[in-house]
Amino acid sequence: MGSKAWLVEDESAREMLDRVLTERPFLLLPPLHRVPLRVGNIVEIVGPSPSAKTHILIQAAITCILPRQWKGVNYGGLGHLAMFLDLDCRFDISRFSDLLNHRIMEAANGSSSEVDCQIKESEAQNATTKPYNEELFASCMRRFLYIRCYDSSEFLATLKTLHYRLQKERETHGVNVHVLLIDSIGAFHWIDRGSSSFSLEGDTRKSLHLQSVTETVVQEIRKLLLVHPMLVMATKAAVLGNRYSMNDSKRNYRTWSAKDNLHSRNVTSSDQQVPYREYMPAVWQSLITHRILVRTTDADFVNGEHQNVSTYLSEWLLPPLNSVDKFIVRDTGVFVLS
Amino acid sequence: MAPLKNLETEYPIIDSNFQNFCASHGIFSVEDFLIHDLYMLAAFAEQNVSSERLKEGITQILSIIDDMHQPWLNGMELLEDAKRNKHFLPTGIQGVDLLLGGGIRVGQLTELVGPSASGKTQVCLQTASNVARNYMMLYLDTGNSFSPQRIAYFLGKTNELASAQAKNQILQKVMSNILCHSVFDIFAMFDVLHQLESNLRCQERGGGCRIRLLIVDSISLLIAPVLGGTSTRGRALMASAGYLLKKLAHQHNLAVLVINHTVGSEGGTSKPALGDSWKSIPHSRLLLSCDRGSNVYNVSILKHPSMCLAVSTLRYLSRALFCIYLCPFYIRLLGRLQGLLFRTCPYRFAGDEKNIEKMELFHE
Repeated sequence: MGSKAWLVEDESAREMLDRVLTERPFLLLPPLHRVPLRVGNIVEIVGPSPSAKTHILIQAAITCILPRQWKGVNYGGLGHLAMFLDLDCRFDISRFSDLLNHRIMEAANGSSSEVDCQIKESEAQNATTKPYNEELFASCMRRFLYIRCYDSSEFLATLKTLHYRLQKERETHGVNVHVLLIDSIGAFHWIDRGSSSFSLEGDTRKSLHLQSVTETVVQEIRKLLLVHPMLVMATKAAVLGNRYSMNDSKRNYRTWSAKDNLHSRNVTSSDQQVPYREYMPAVWQSLITHRILVRTTDADFVNGEHQNVSTYLSEWLLPPLNSVDKFIVRDTGVFVLS
Repeated sequence: MAPLKNLETEYPIIDSNFQNFCASHGIFSVEDFLIHDLYMLAAFAEQNVSSERLKEGITQILSIIDDMHQPWLNGMELLEDAKRNKHFLPTGIQGVDLLLGGGIRVGQLTELVGPSASGKTQVCLQTASNVARNYMMLYLDTGNSFSPQRIAYFLGKTNELASAQAKNQILQKVMSNILCHSVFDIFAMFDVLHQLESNLRCQERGGGCRIRLLIVDSISLLIAPVLGGTSTRGRALMASAGYLLKKLAHQHNLAVLVINHTVGSEGGTSKPALGDSWKSIPHSRLLLSCDRGSNVYNVSILKHPSMCLAVSTLRYLSRALFCIYLCPFYIRLLGRLQGLLFRTCPYRFAGDEKNIEKMELFHE
């Protein structure tokens, strides 16, 4: 009897699937809606600057921190924590709170056109924009965790202590961290490359240069995901290649190619195949499970009176889908056009 | 990169045994811990004789590392800080203030790009004269373009109705609030900024009148000589400068305004200098241009954290708003990279509200 006890089943496959799908749901975030994302995926959002990459991260964070349901209204969020590692140090919290507020209003009122009218009315009445629903707003904002890193040492220190921080936040809030957002991963690229010439004596001692920093970052993220499964999304600023006929790329190729072979994947000689110039070391590229390219177009979209917003295009590179989506950024967040 | 033994006095757990153990794995300072796998180290410590003490030492190191990064904040705390500290500094130029939603934002790095003779320094001087009425500010001058006479002129223009004594008082106050440093290379700028950082940190505890605005006119003149060529050191310096400015802006609640010039790009158009690596460093980028034929000054937004608008241009069709008057003998030698000699042209610079006739939002 004792030896047979461990053969007794815990749950059937169907029960397990149900459990996993509720605890670790698929996320369909516009404009990344073509590929469902779940914990354990590491998504890289590549694009020139500016191309709404940070807005995509903010969209993901808001979807994560909004509750699924609150006082009878369906918000469609996850109710989990979101962590934002700001390596670019350009995050604007007022913009974030505006977007959150608009999302709450939109969900509470049903449609975005009503929201626009309501906003205009309320703005006419009082100049200060108070949050629509203070209690919900405050509880959501408290689920958004933010840290700035001004150089690689701070970034590494954050990653090394992230395990304990995640445990602590889980105890405080009672919910897990579902998304880890990094903006942007190539921020310290030049500073780290510049410091490689300060390498110290001997080969036994590792110094803080690009290769060792990236390897450590990848190692820490991998270990973290084993214990705290999260969806990781990182933005990366890149120069677009010849395929999109950006003016600078030709010049950049010639000056960079000689020095870059050490650190980046060997780019094939025919530039037409490469959509952008890869500069992250191969160890980071092997960590990525999904990659999407966003860029801005010249076409403008008329969004109401007196407002032309730029249209952005998004294209999945990994997994390679042959479709290109158009999206704009509205007050309520990213809105897919086609 | 202080060696581990310096920590022994403060943390007695990091004794010579621990230091030897770390040295055997190639770790000599706390920074080395950042790029080593601490779990592997703990596993090695298990096999050692004094494993408990070694593991305690590793835990102590982890708590030291925890102090090496910025504090974690949640959304509400960030918002509180933004509301309390990160307000707008009006520049006194109505067009720019309107476009930016109030003025230059404290805590952010704003960049002003423009071809030669498009009024960048004039915008800086006008902003300086406006902000210095209430706060102190630091002006880093790279091309000897700072002009106290011009500031006095701007003050006179905006205080036309005040009495002579009041005007004099304001002038004295503004002039004493502006600190002007000449820097001619990037290392001198780093010196000044590090000095400023340590002064501000001391002042935080002591209180007193603090600097609110930092203008670098122009940062492209400092960075462009070190960029280029095959060395990556130039870009590393540029990125470090950008991060230092952003750190000063955020932690000490400064508004930072930097000037950049434009270079030609393919197709005959012009684009901001300093390349793509600099593009993602400032928070907002404004493009200035001057249409000399019709005395109209244009300011457009190239990038802004809150606006996803296509190049949004505010064009003032009236004569008065935004034309720059320069004293006949004011000649300025511009950016040695462009090698242009700025000729005196009759422009008028006025910030009066009554002269706005028409304002339209154009989008290009």
